[in-house]
Amino acid sequence: MKNPLNRRLFRELKDEWGKYLVIFLFMTLTIGFVSGFLVAGDSMIKAYDESFEKYQIEDGHFILKEEASAAITEALEQKERVNICPDYYAEETVDIDLNGNADSTLRIFKIRKDLNLICLMAGSLPERDEEIAIDRMYADNNHLTAGDHIKIGNEDFKISGLVALSDYSALFSDNNDLMFDSIKFGVAVVTKDGFKRLSEKNIRYNYCWQYNDPPKNEEKEQELSEDFIEALADEVLTAHIEIDTVIPRIANQAINFTGDDMGSDKTMIIVLLYILIIILAFVFSVTISHTIVRESAVIGTLLASGYTKGELLRHYITPPVIVTLTSAIAGNVLGYTVFKNMVAGLYYNSYSLPTFHVIWNAEAFILTTVIPILLMLAANLIILTRKLELTPLQFLRRDLSRRKQKKTVPLPSLPFFHRFRIRIILQNLSGYCTLFAGILFASILLLFGIMMKPLLDHYQNEVTSNMPAKYQYILKAKIPTKVRQAEPLCASSLTYDSKERSEEISIYGIIENSKYFKEELPKDGICISDGFAEKYRIETGDVIHLHETYDDGSYNFIVKKIIDYPGSLAVFMTNQKYTDTFDTTADIYDMDYTDIELLLRRLSTPDDGLYYNGYFSDERLTDIDEKYVAACITIDDMTKVSRQLSVSMGNMFDMVKVFATAMAALLIYLLTKLILERNSTSISMVKILGYSNNEIARLYLLATSIVVILSILISLALATKIISLIYRAFMVDFGGWLTCYFAPWIYPAIFFMLLLAYGAVAILQFQKIRKIPMDLSLKNVE
Amino acid sequence: MFLEITELKKSFKNADTKTEVLKGISFSVEKGEICILLGPSGSGKSTLLNIIGGIDSADSGSVRIAGEKTADMNEKALTRYRRKHLGYVFQMYNLIPNLTVKENIEVGSYLGSNPLDINELLHTLGLYEHRSKLPNQLSGGQQQRTAIGRAIIKNPDILLCDEPTGALDYQTSKEILKLIEQVNHRYGNTIIMVTHNDAIRNMADRIIKLRDGQIRTNSRNEAKIPAAELEW
Repeated sequence: MKNPLNRRLFRELKDEWGKYLVIFLFMTLTIGFVSGFLVAGDSMIKAYDESFEKYQIEDGHFILKEEASAAITEALEQKERVNICPDYYAEETVDIDLNGNADSTLRIFKIRKDLNLICLMAGSLPERDEEIAIDRMYADNNHLTAGDHIKIGNEDFKISGLVALSDYSALFSDNNDLMFDSIKFGVAVVTKDGFKRLSEKNIRYNYCWQYNDPPKNEEKEQELSEDFIEALADEVLTAHIEIDTVIPRIANQAINFTGDDMGSDKTMIIVLLYILIIILAFVFSVTISHTIVRESAVIGTLLASGYTKGELLRHYITPPVIVTLTSAIAGNVLGYTVFKNMVAGLYYNSYSLPTFHVIWNAEAFILTTVIPILLMLAANLIILTRKLELTPLQFLRRDLSRRKQKKTVPLPSLPFFHRFRIRIILQNLSGYCTLFAGILFASILLLFGIMMKPLLDHYQNEVTSNMPAKYQYILKAKIPTKVRQAEPLCASSLTYDSKERSEEISIYGIIENSKYFKEELPKDGICISDGFAEKYRIETGDVIHLHETYDDGSYNFIVKKIIDYPGSLAVFMTNQKYTDTFDTTADIYDMDYTDIELLLRRLSTPDDGLYYNGYFSDERLTDIDEKYVAACITIDDMTKVSRQLSVSMGNMFDMVKVFATAMAALLIYLLTKLILERNSTSISMVKILGYSNNEIARLYLLATSIVVILSILISLALATKIISLIYRAFMVDFGGWLTCYFAPWIYPAIFFMLLLAYGAVAILQFQKIRKIPMDLSLKNVE
Repeated sequence: MFLEITELKKSFKNADTKTEVLKGISFSVEKGEICILLGPSGSGKSTLLNIIGGIDSADSGSVRIAGEKTADMNEKALTRYRRKHLGYVFQMYNLIPNLTVKENIEVGSYLGSNPLDINELLHTLGLYEHRSKLPNQLSGGQQQRTAIGRAIIKNPDILLCDEPTGALDYQTSKEILKLIEQVNHRYGNTIIMVTHNDAIRNMADRIIKLRDGQIRTNSRNEAKIPAAELEW
């Protein structure tokens, strides 16, 4: 015979459908999202991993200043056992809205046939000279689609289709960039003849290589790439060809960033799910504890009749397990159908990924089904086992206190209503503790969801307002300009090693009385940017050690000042100190001038006793040929990170906000409901005594309101601290630094959002108070 | 003897006082007897019943049911003992609120290896028409009859009743007592009933009067009268 108590389960679920439904929906949606996240994420990671072979992704590429002869590439192919394919591209400015102004940059390749194959996402590949297929994500971000026309240089192109280039899953225009830029930078392909329409001066001689025997691991890959670079340098320098860039695949952010990033969110999402399940498990256990108190005489009778504690434990633990199990099943169904596409959308918002197919994910099933059930079981088992440890007699006598003599907490002589409310709070302490934990968790999520947009805006504003000049030119040598706004500048980079990582730091030498750089610079030390100081916890007076990235030179500097310069991790010193430190007087002889033209240009520059290799300027330097410019940094470049993060993660921030508010409302609803149920007999009694519904609400709801308000306030303070710690741990792993900033307005915003959620719940609970019948306390029935 | 109580002692300790509730109780009951434990409040009759039922323990002495000694049993064995031998009826009915009358009785039948026929029992209890009702749709007497049904459906050797009529009016109390008697006749269970109502003694086979934790009298009732004829 089946245990007849089981028949209660369905009725319990039916009677308390409101409670179970909100828990079910909430858990289903959460598990659904996590399941979708894992399923889509892992399917995409698999597609990404497989893309290396499927799309024949390069093992590296190099860019030469001029075209290499077939003899050079053949020699390299033989020597290093590689296959080398020319993959020239033209980097062109694009006018999207056809208004005559350049909006962004496209790196345009010919259609590839051998390496770095193309995945067509929509439309068709270009077949005619005037057709172009552009990156799908760049197209999305710039609201372009197949059939649209764009102007590249002076040529008009029709977009024939949208593509994903397998070697540009993250659209990094420069491998040294902190963040990719899929708004102002994109990739595209044209036909062979279409390529001829592009400006020859913008062509880069890019070559991809692939090993004949693929390396088995990263270590081997590293070794092979080092050998290859050495051989490449030998071959091309002998032929007097300058190398512009060499990027082996293992160091190529455009290829690797996606794979690294897609996996990195997984742990965080799973941890969030488990925290939520544990909180819900405690909500359940508080509910069950309340049921046990309410049914203690029944439990006593059942135990006295011969029911075992195991039977009762199984009985009371079943509803949370059923709800979790059905939520997990429904969540997984949603995960594989609805949420998978949503999460894929989030990824497609950030990365230019090829198409993917959903694959069955056993790990996701375990993580979103088995483990939540185990967590629910474990949390409830602990509480229930403790609760059921009492003897049948104690249950029969409703003597459920574990302590022998429960002492009454003495209260000061406050007005009656105050004391009454304090007693309610003390009586429901466990419920209120769970409520606090839930509000804290919701506050952390809300704070995260709300803070990021203002943080990125703040960063963007700070970068913009602290940028010394509209343009920072870094030249390949000291080249004079006639532009009057231009101010000479020394710039280079060194590496800073910390326990966590090695990072490139920009080094600036600033001339005396600079009109662009207003901070006073010490003569015997350096200033560092606040981001550098924050990231590596450097303080004024510290000595920092920096070294050359590829050479042996190393330097120690005393930090004299930390300045507002959010744009990059940077060191500032006087021009004098810069030239003294780096011995720039001999720059002509030290520099490796493979470019004869550049050497002649440098030799023709009059020696005015001042070394510099760049300019601050509010005007473009039109009189310096682009080929002498190593980099020109504008506000657009400096704000690339915040711009890209806003686009990539904007949707996620909104989702987190909605989720956190819903969760807060759910927890407040469940726990306040419980507190009212626990006190329903007393409420009925005070009704009989003549208290009005409003007075009862003042007693019972106000106590909860006080706890909710205090919980929100304490949670916000704690959440700020917790987010700061998490944020720091998270950012340290990334290149660069975005200062953790909490816009002041977000606190009242979160406070009112949570309060609004509580307000809605309070209205529902007030209706409940009104409905509690007066004869409840008089009934002598179960 | 079916039930043998020997030198049972029990005391409760407070911070600085020790109250002896049972001061060496010994008696025995034969199988199928109705035994009434009679006494005023605080005489120790409920404590004695709880010790017999294995939900409380004695400081010394022993309880033997069909040769099995409860003091030697651990918690699991005690649960098995209660499951196998005992049925409980309390002053408060302690029914499960969201189970029907029939289902509440089934809660008891689940525990027995050879339970009685539930429909027949429902007829015996006079609850057949009410079998699909929830406890809050029943009168106090009907609820107590359901509680008795739950206790006897598994056909226990001993039915322990702690003030089963304490919360009921005269007429309903008589109905319940008649039912207990009927159950005893029909199924032959031994019944130990605690009451402070002196009139109920007349329906018993054995009457044990308790006062201050001691047996004042232990006698067989030679002038047993049917419950229907009881008056108070």
